[in-house]
Amino acid sequence: MGEFINFLGNNLADFWTYTGFANATPGHLIMILVGLFFIYLAVAKEFEPMLLIPIGFGILIGNIPFNTEAGLNVGIYEEGSVLNILYQGVTSGWYPPLIFLGIGAMTDFSALISNPKLLLIGAAAQFGIFGAYMIAMAIGFEPSEAGAIAIIGGADGPTAIFLSSKLAPSLMGAIAVSAYSYMALVPVIQPPIMRMLTTEKERLMRMPTPRKVSHTEKVIFPIVGLLLTCFLVPSGLPLLGMLFFGNLLKESGVTRRLAETARGPLIDTITILLGVTVGASTQASEFLTMDSVLIFALGALSFIIATTSGVLFVKLFNLILPKHKRINPLIGNAGVSAVPDSARISQNVGLEYDPTNYLLMHAMGPNVAGVIGSAVAAGILLGFLM
Amino acid sequence: MRNIIHKMMRKVFTPLPCGGAGGGSFLLLLILSLVGFTSCNNQENGTSKVVLNEVLSLNKNNFQDDYGVHNAWIEVFNKSYGTVDIAGYKLAVYNGTGDTVIYNVPKGDVLTKIKPRQHALFWADGEPNRGTFHTICTLDSIGGNWVGLYDNGGKLIDEIEVPTLEADHSYARLDDANSKWVVKGGDNASSYVTPSTNNMTIEKNEKQEKFAQQDADGVGMAITAMSVVFMGLIILYISFRLLLKPLLTFLQWITNKVQLLLKPLAGFFQWTKNAIVCIFKRKDRNNKNNLTETMTENQSISKTESKEEEVYAAIAMALHEEMNNVHDIESGILTINRCTSAWNAKHLMLRK
Repeated sequence: MGEFINFLGNNLADFWTYTGFANATPGHLIMILVGLFFIYLAVAKEFEPMLLIPIGFGILIGNIPFNTEAGLNVGIYEEGSVLNILYQGVTSGWYPPLIFLGIGAMTDFSALISNPKLLLIGAAAQFGIFGAYMIAMAIGFEPSEAGAIAIIGGADGPTAIFLSSKLAPSLMGAIAVSAYSYMALVPVIQPPIMRMLTTEKERLMRMPTPRKVSHTEKVIFPIVGLLLTCFLVPSGLPLLGMLFFGNLLKESGVTRRLAETARGPLIDTITILLGVTVGASTQASEFLTMDSVLIFALGALSFIIATTSGVLFVKLFNLILPKHKRINPLIGNAGVSAVPDSARISQNVGLEYDPTNYLLMHAMGPNVAGVIGSAVAAGILLGFLM
Repeated sequence: MRNIIHKMMRKVFTPLPCGGAGGGSFLLLLILSLVGFTSCNNQENGTSKVVLNEVLSLNKNNFQDDYGVHNAWIEVFNKSYGTVDIAGYKLAVYNGTGDTVIYNVPKGDVLTKIKPRQHALFWADGEPNRGTFHTICTLDSIGGNWVGLYDNGGKLIDEIEVPTLEADHSYARLDDANSKWVVKGGDNASSYVTPSTNNMTIEKNEKQEKFAQQDADGVGMAITAMSVVFMGLIILYISFRLLLKPLLTFLQWITNKVQLLLKPLAGFFQWTKNAIVCIFKRKDRNNKNNLTETMTENQSISKTESKEEEVYAAIAMALHEEMNNVHDIESGILTINRCTSAWNAKHLMLRK
């Protein structure tokens, strides 16, 4: 009998070694708190709930402690586990282009087509990427790591994941979480910079109503856009190709079902998988490093630089534009490609100073230009550093 | 602009007088034929996915086979980015005397599938019973050798004249799939004999090292990359600001030209169709007493008549309504009554 009780005791002791309680480390607990904070931000503050809920919950999934030596094969970094299979979409880089397909199918490029000079704001805001690249190089990151970290400044989660999976796979978790976190925090980061860099008079500036864009122009745009940008930067093909393809599905007017699938069920499915797996990839043992802290700091800097360069570029651009064609500098922040959040910020800040000055339509121009610009920038970094 | 494109589309896709196939279908067929023709042409002139990569004809102290024997070897390389199965391929060797010896790579061995950018090594030991990669060929270590590689269709896809080589020296492409062949066998890293591995060992990422050395602060990258981003978006800007109208005009011009080109072809198809109909008519005349002709004519007449009748009916209806004043008299006031449904019920909404 005593032997049997001993046997049971050993079994329970064995079982205890498999539980999360026995394997928990302070790192796991910190990451679980981070995950809970993300979920709180999404539910209570409604900061990018579509992203933060999957990522936050993914962080919880990825940080359930378990005995790795038990061969349970459940961890995201264990080859052949279910999470690992789902994570392949991130590591092999095929989730981001599918997200871009959906983005293309839901984006209206009319604002950009009606006023093509807004493209240049989207280009200027990409300085956030290369400013962060210079800082990362100065801190001591390798060029490929610096490039992967810098892309956070593009404010484009899928692009950041795509590029980091190619240039610095070991930093991908931190880069992805950082990119999505700052995208969610756009309403907090951008307005103070916009207010600081603009005068009262500039904020009240009104822009002429954009002209109506014909169906033909809308159909031609994705085709010409693809040919021009990808001939220039072929390494941006996976992202730009899918972006413009999605847009053609939308604008052609004859593939309504395909466009609806791309911007509906498909992008939702991929967003769920991408969010959960990116979140789960932040296992404490892999994530809680000094590099991650630096990446978060650099990410914040890159957002600040991108917003600043966008707003300042508009101010400079206004110096050479005729008076009636001048641009409200409040749309400069929209050059980062967080669609449509940064454009909404332009609108909200504009309305604070003039409740009848609607900037959303104008801000969508640089905003979608930012999407193209960041994909082009990613292509350049990939071409130079891969 | 919309009118232009509509007109353009209508012109391109207007059914041609030849009846059966529309102009659009014909145009599509023409384009597909062109694509098919081009791809066929490419296939003929194109390069193969698998190439001969390195040959060693006198093996004294070099790589050993599975039996621990030093034998001559021939390395092939899959230069594509997809797996290629070389089962059924032929390896041919001619060393100046006798016949060309041809070895058929056996089918049914999974090892004949060469992964992307990977190698396969064949032993020229004359011992095919030792395995798939042991061939019936042998290489002449004194004189030169000609080595050829044929695909499973029997087409020569690669060949090389191997010169006389010193012991444990190979004749290899400078780098995998490079067009330049060199003798390898020295102590220099670029001249190692490399059976089943890359002909040139890459130990570092030159691009990254260059950036790390010459652009340690990242300014060069920032300037270059920002220039490219601006250039790309400026090109896009110019395209839409300045080139859209000329582009549409050009498209119109192309459409007109295509239309002009199609006209004689359409005539030719009409003539062919008539000729075929005539032949069939003659054949059937005795049996069916011109039944086909009558039916065809009747069908076309009835189609035309039915269309005309619809037009007449519409005109008559319009006249009737106008003359007898039978139009509805409408108030011009539109009233929308609010009603609750599953679409606007608050409790069914996903969000508050």
